[in-house]
Amino acid sequence: MKPRGKILLVDDDPDFLEIHKVVLHNHGYDVLTATSGREGLERVRAEMPDLVILDLMMEKHDAGFSFSKTVKTDPLFRKIPILMVTSVAEATGFRFSLEEDGYWMKTDDFLEKPVSPEVLLERVAKLLRQREEGH
Amino acid sequence: MNTQTSILVVDDEMGIREGCRRVLAEEGYDIDLAEDGAVGLRRVREKPYDLILVDLMMPGIGGLDLIKKIHEIDPEIIVVVITGYATIETAVEATKRGAYDYLPKPFTPEALAVLVKRGIEKRELRLEARRLYQEREQRLLELAGEKSRLRSIIGCMADGVLVTNLERQLVLWNASAVRMLKLSGTDEPGKAMDHYIRNRALIESLEQVLNSKDDGFSMISQEIRADEQGAVLMAQMAPVRDERGRLLGAVTVIRDITKLKEVEKIKSQFVSMVAHELRSPLAAIEGWLGVVLSGEAGGDEEQRRTWLLRAKERANSLLALVKDLLEINKIEAGKVAQKMESVQVIDVVGKIVEFFKPEAERQHVSLQMNPSVPLPAIQADVQDMEKLFTNLVSNAIKYNVENGSVTIETSLDPHFVGIHVRDTGIGIAPADLPRIFDDFFRVETKRTDGIGGTGLGLTIAKKIVDSHFGHIEVESRPDKGSTFSVYLPCKK
Repeated sequence: MKPRGKILLVDDDPDFLEIHKVVLHNHGYDVLTATSGREGLERVRAEMPDLVILDLMMEKHDAGFSFSKTVKTDPLFRKIPILMVTSVAEATGFRFSLEEDGYWMKTDDFLEKPVSPEVLLERVAKLLRQREEGH
Repeated sequence: MNTQTSILVVDDEMGIREGCRRVLAEEGYDIDLAEDGAVGLRRVREKPYDLILVDLMMPGIGGLDLIKKIHEIDPEIIVVVITGYATIETAVEATKRGAYDYLPKPFTPEALAVLVKRGIEKRELRLEARRLYQEREQRLLELAGEKSRLRSIIGCMADGVLVTNLERQLVLWNASAVRMLKLSGTDEPGKAMDHYIRNRALIESLEQVLNSKDDGFSMISQEIRADEQGAVLMAQMAPVRDERGRLLGAVTVIRDITKLKEVEKIKSQFVSMVAHELRSPLAAIEGWLGVVLSGEAGGDEEQRRTWLLRAKERANSLLALVKDLLEINKIEAGKVAQKMESVQVIDVVGKIVEFFKPEAERQHVSLQMNPSVPLPAIQADVQDMEKLFTNLVSNAIKYNVENGSVTIETSLDPHFVGIHVRDTGIGIAPADLPRIFDDFFRVETKRTDGIGGTGLGLTIAKKIVDSHFGHIEVESRPDKGSTFSVYLPCKK
C-alpha cells in the first residue's frame, strides 16, 4: 500500500515521539522523528516531509518558534504545513491562539497536549488535504 | 498647711519684738525674732517663713531694702511693714516694693492678729497659685515631650509617614518617606504638598481623601512607584479627624513592597515550572493509555503491555518528582523541621556509599571511600545529610562512564569540614555549570539521554547545604569528570 504521506515528528519527549509514531504509522503514514529543532531542520532539508508535527517546548523554550520561522520563511519548504503541539499554554500562563499569534508563530494549526489519537489523525488528514488543494 | 506657720519679726526695738511674739504665739504661730536687717536675712536664708513683719526704720539694712532681699529669696513670702512714722508715702513705697500691707505704730494686739491672719491667708493663696502654675508648666512640658517623643517614633519608622492638612500643606513627614518617595525641598517646610511630592497618583488619591464628604470613608490602599525604576510602594491613605469627626487632613503610610513583589514573582515562576514539569509526564501517560485504549495495538497483547510499561515508567518519574518537590518544601519551611545534633558526617556518607555499592556494580563503576583527613563531628540534621549525599553519590554514579570510579575525599580548614564527591564521569560543559543548581535544570546532551531525573536533586542538595550555613561547589571538565565539594561549618 502506498503511504498516505511522510510526516516529521519533532519533540524532545521520546514518549511522545513514539506515541504519535505508533498512531500515525498504524494509519498508513510514513513517520520520521527528530528530538531537537536542529535535527528537525536537517530532516526537513534531507527528506522533504509532507507535514511537520512540532512540540514547542524543546531544549530552549522558543526552539519551536524559531524552527517554524526558519521553515516558513524558506521558499522551498514554506508549503509544508506545521502542526504545533504543546503543553505550554496554561502552565506558563502565556496563552496564544492562531488568530492572535498565528502571524508570527507561522504554524498552520495548533493542538494542546495530550492529544488523543482520533484528534491527531483528523487534524493531520485535514492539513494534508488542504495542502493538496493548495497545489 | 500641714506644718506650723512661721513668722519672723524684724525690729530694732525689743519692746515691739517681744510684744509681737506674745500676741502671735498665743495665736499658735511659730515666732522668730531678729533685731536688725542682717540677722533677719540670715534667718530667712535658713528657714522658710510664711510671713515677716519688718520695721521700716532700722539701722543697717533699711526696711525697703530688706523687702527686696527677702523677695529675692522667696517672692511668695508675705511682708508686712511696721512703721512708726505712718506716712502714706513710705507705706505706699513699701507696698510698691512688694510689701503686702502696713501696720502703723502704735498698734493694738487685735490689729496685729487680724492683719497677720489675713497675710497668712494670702500666703496660702499665693502658694496654691504657684502650685497650679507649676502644675500647668509641668503639663505643658509633658505635652511638648509627648510631641517630641511622637516625632522621634515616627522618625525611626521604617515605613514612610506623611501628614497633609486641609490646606494641602505637608505638615509632618519622616526620613523614610523622604527616601521612598524621593521627596524634594523638605528643607523648606509649609508649602503645598505637590511642592514636595512628585508622584501624581499619590497626590490624586490624597485629594480624594481630603475631598471626601463621607464620614464613613476610611482608607485608600494603592500600589505606587516613586519613579520609573523606583521601588514598588504600598501607600495607605486615611483621613485624620478631630474628636467630633471633622476632617483635619490626611495621613499616608508608605511601605516598600519591592522584595515582596520579587518573592511573589519567583513563586509564580516556580509554580508554572512545576506545573509544566508535572504536566509533561502526565501527558505522556495519558498518551500511552490513549493508544492502548483506542486499540492501536490490534490484538497484539505484547505490544499493549510494552506501552503500559512505558506509561508506568513515566508514572514513577512523576512520583519521584512529587517526592522531590515535597522535600524542597520541607527544607524551605525552615529550621522547624530540622533537628540539629552532633554528627560524624563521614559515617553518614559511609552508610550511603554502602547502600549504593550494588547500584555502582550494576553500572560497572567502582565506588570507594578515601577519607584522607579525619573530620570532627559537626552540628547537622542527619536526615538532611543523608539526602544530600544520596543525591551527590547517585549523580556521580548515574553520570559516570563504563569502568569509571567515584571517590569520597575529605578536607578540613579552621572553619569548615569539606566532603568531596569525585567522579570520572561525563563532566559538565562550562556553559551549563552556572545553572546546575537551578530548579529543574538538567544537562541535555546525547550522553545524558536515557538518564532519568527530576532536575531537582542538586537544587535540594544546595538548599540543604544553605540551611546548614555551608556552601557547595563544583569543579568539572567534560569527559574528565566532576567533583562536588560540600563545606559545612565546624566548631574547633
